[in-house]
This record gives sequence, structure tokens and C-alpha cells, in this order.
Amino acid sequence: MKNARKRNLSLLLYCLPALIVYLAFKLFPAISGMYYSLTNWNGLNKSYEFVGPSNFLELLTDDYFWDSMWFTFKYVIVSVIIANVAALTLAVAIESCRRAKGLFRTLFYMPNMISMVIGGYMWMFIFTKVLYYLADNWGWSFLDHSWIGDPNYSFIAIIIVAAWGAVGYLMIIYMAALQGVPANLKEAAAIDGANAWQNFWKIIFPLISHAITICVFWSLNSGFQVFDVIYTLTGGGPGRATQSVAINIYQEAFRGNIRYGYATAKSTVLFFIVLIVTAIQLKLTGRKEQEL
Amino acid sequence: MKKKGILSDIIVYTLLSVAALFTLFPLLMALMNSFKSNQELLINVMSWPTELHLENYVRTFDKMHYTRSFLNTVILSGLSVSLMIFFSALAGWRLCRTKTRLSRFLLKLFIFSMLIPFSSIMIPLYRVAQIMKITNSVVSLSFVYAGLGVSMAIFLYHGFVKSVPVELEEAAAIDGCSSLQGFFKIVFPMLKPITATITITNVLWIWNDFLLPLIMISDNKKYTLLLSTNTLFGQYSSDWTAILSALILAALPVIVFYAFFQKRILKGISDGAVKG
Repeated sequence: MKNARKRNLSLLLYCLPALIVYLAFKLFPAISGMYYSLTNWNGLNKSYEFVGPSNFLELLTDDYFWDSMWFTFKYVIVSVIIANVAALTLAVAIESCRRAKGLFRTLFYMPNMISMVIGGYMWMFIFTKVLYYLADNWGWSFLDHSWIGDPNYSFIAIIIVAAWGAVGYLMIIYMAALQGVPANLKEAAAIDGANAWQNFWKIIFPLISHAITICVFWSLNSGFQVFDVIYTLTGGGPGRATQSVAINIYQEAFRGNIRYGYATAKSTVLFFIVLIVTAIQLKLTGRKEQEL
Repeated sequence: MKKKGILSDIIVYTLLSVAALFTLFPLLMALMNSFKSNQELLINVMSWPTELHLENYVRTFDKMHYTRSFLNTVILSGLSVSLMIFFSALAGWRLCRTKTRLSRFLLKLFIFSMLIPFSSIMIPLYRVAQIMKITNSVVSLSFVYAGLGVSMAIFLYHGFVKSVPVELEEAAAIDGCSSLQGFFKIVFPMLKPITATITITNVLWIWNDFLLPLIMISDNKKYTLLLSTNTLFGQYSSDWTAILSALILAALPVIVFYAFFQKRILKGISDGAVKG
């Protein structure tokens, strides 16, 4: 008994440094955020009052917020599908290469090394200068759009840049999974007369379902928090057409009328939505994984 | 059979080449145009520069206080990750070696918050920093990053320590090593593979992170590379040669880092993702 207490004490000592920074900068902010969401704190006045659920009630009828939520869902669905399909396609293509495997892998991962802020500004140059040039001088008139100024096209622009930035990371995970598929299984299926297409869907796909779970989970999570790409490309505009929830919260808290209490209510809602969506995803893909 | 192989090879290599071109396109366009004069850039963005205007680089190097921003970013990433490694290796190892109710509780406490999105805590986190008066400090921001990163690192260390035989530590203890000495001399060196993974993933995360420094740092003497790039973009919104040379300068350190360590980085990334 005494021994256990001593062990616990030494355990606490070893955990103390991690525990302190973790409590101060993660857990306490998370919990106090929930509390602030029930207050009218505006960041300037020292005092604030407990206002109960009134922030959440106001949120229900806040069109700007729900527009940004709708945009975020649209963004998440489209970007998760495009990035994962592209990453898996590239991974399969590279794995089937005899030469230059390493070269392609290195190349495709490169955008992930660079911050999306830098990538976003580089693409800004492409969208505002290069594509116009190609449309005017090379006759590629299908590129002649206001990529940043027109809401429909700026959505496409954001998706392109986000996919450009995410594909390499997902591809690395898919490649690791593909390398784990035993070669004799593929050979056996080929001998039994399966073509490459059947081979992929019946043999390989089930065996890499774990990687799919990881990749979809990761891209869902980062998709719901999308900030850098939009901040650099459109800043949420034109108007509020491409405002994601993270941008909306950032602007509520750090730009214009500062309303921390109200902004933390938005953060809390975002937290629960991400939690519910990822829980559903893990349950669905987890069940699929077991079936396969 | 052989013909089919060639046809599929052609399809695969065409697909990969198009994708490679798409991947490199913004980087190459930025690089090529960063050496032009502004007039030349406005006339034709697709041509090679007729002469190399290196003064674009000289000018932005000064304007974005490159050396200072670079050093700030190095200190921030280096210190954050060192703290994170040190704190979480100690905790993760001990949590794995102690089997009590408290250890199970602490482990759960550490990892349950991995699901909390950063956007959900950024405002109260900013508030905490304000109260502690640690905004505008690179060193303090490192502790914040350590706090945000320990969950994942402890989770990874905890998983790894399970595969490290406990006998060596016991032998060291019998030989009179204190438990802390034993940790540094025996355990920590054995954790090297997972330490490498944690270092790589976190250095890249912090080096490339934008939102947290954007909130925490407003003093331009403390700016990271990304913050100074962002400011420069705001100041020179139509001077593309200045912006593009700044973007190339800002991307350069990671590209060089990647060129030297790409094998290790790619391995670290895939290990980190699969275990997490």
C-alpha cells in the first residue's frame, strides 16, 4: 500500500512538467472556453456577466455563422473526396512503377513541406496573373474566369490549393499501406484470372481499409478547421462567400467588434460538430473494416 | 501480355508526369518570375527571365528582416520540440512503467484532448497568454506549443516504451543508478526511433504553423518567417517580384531541409500517421 503511494508520487513528479504545460495551454483553455461561451465577455472590459445560453440562442439565428458552417461542410465533403481519391490513385500508380518511384514520391510530398500560407500566396499568383495570361495569349479561354473574385470559382480555387497541399501526406500513408499488402495474394488472384481492376477492389482495397480510415479521419479533422488556404487566397471573400467556420471565429474574436464570449460559443459548437462527424466516420469505416 | 504491360506503363507515367507538373507548377512559376523586373513580369509571366534581377531578393531579404525572422522560427521550433520531447518522454515512459489507477487516469487525461480542434481553444488560449503576460514572446510560445503537442507525443512514447525490455532498467537500478539517471543513460537512447518521428512531425508542424503565431505575436521583432511573409504580402500587394522572391526565401529553408533528410522525413511522417 505504502509502495503504491510512493510509486504514484514519483509518477506524478515525472509527469509534472508535461502536466503543467498541458493543463495551462490545452485543458484549461478548453474548459474555460466552454464557460466563456456562457458569458458576455468582450475582451476589453475586465468584468463580464454570466448570461446563460443566450449566446447559443443568438447563434441559432446568426445567418453569417450558418453560412460559414454550410460552406465548411461543402468544403469538407468535396476536399476529402478529391484529396483522398487523388492520393490513392497516385499511390497505386507509383507502386506500379518500375522506375523513378522515389523521385515521384519525393516530388508529390514537396507541397506538404511548405506552409499553406506560402503555397496559398504562390497559387494566388497563378490565379490572378498566370491563368489570365494563358487565357489571353495561349488561347486557353476556359481559364478566363475571375478565380478569386467570383464565389463559384473561388470555391474551386480553394479546393485545388487545399488538395495540392494535402495529397502528398495522404499519399505517403496509402503507399505505406499498399506496401503492406502481401505480393503473393496479388499473384494468386492474377493467376485465378482477376484483372488489375478486380485485383484492386477485391484484394488490395480491403487490405488497406485501415489506411483509408486514418486518411479520411485526418482530412475530415483538418478540413473542418481550414484556415490558412482561405486566409491567403480569398480572406473569406468575395463578401463572405468563402468564409469557413475557423475564419468566422477568427474574425469574430480578433477583427472588428470583439466579442469573445460569443466567439467561444461558436468554437464550442464547432467542437461538438467535429466530434460527432468524426465519431460517425470512425464508426462507419470501422464497421466496414470489420466486414471486409 | 507484354504489349499490355507497355500500354499500362504509358498510362501510369503520363498520369504521374501530369501530376508532377501540377505539383511543381506554382513553385516553378514563383521561382522563374521572382528574378524578373516588374515590367517584364507584367508583359509575359511564362517566359524565362532575360536577366536575373537579384536585387528583388536583396530588397525583400531586408524588408522581411529575413535573418531575424529566420532565427525566431528556428528558436521557436527548436525549443518547442525539445521541451515537448523532454516532457513527454519522461511522462510517457513513467506512465507505461507504473501500473496504478492514477497512471491509467493520467494517460486518459493526456490523450482524450487530442480530438479538441485548435480553433475551439484559440480564444481562451489567447486569454491565458494575456493573463500570464506571455504574448509577444518566442520562448513562452514554445511552452504553449509544448502544451499543445504533449498529448500526441506521450501517446507515442507510451506505446513505444511497451516494446522496450524493462530488465535493463532494473539492472541499472541494481547497479545504483537513480531512476532519473537510468532514464537518461539507458531508456532515452533506446527511444531514439520514436523520438526521431516525433521530432520530424512536430518541427514541420511548428515551422509551418501560422494561426497561433498570428494570434500571439504582434511585435514585428518577434515575427516568424510566415508572419513576415504575410506582412510583406499586405504591404506590396501588387509588387509581384517582391512577393515572389519573399515566398521563395520563406520556402527555401524547408526545401533545403527536405533535400537533405527526405528519406527520414518521409519515414517519420508515415510512422507518425499510422501510429497516431
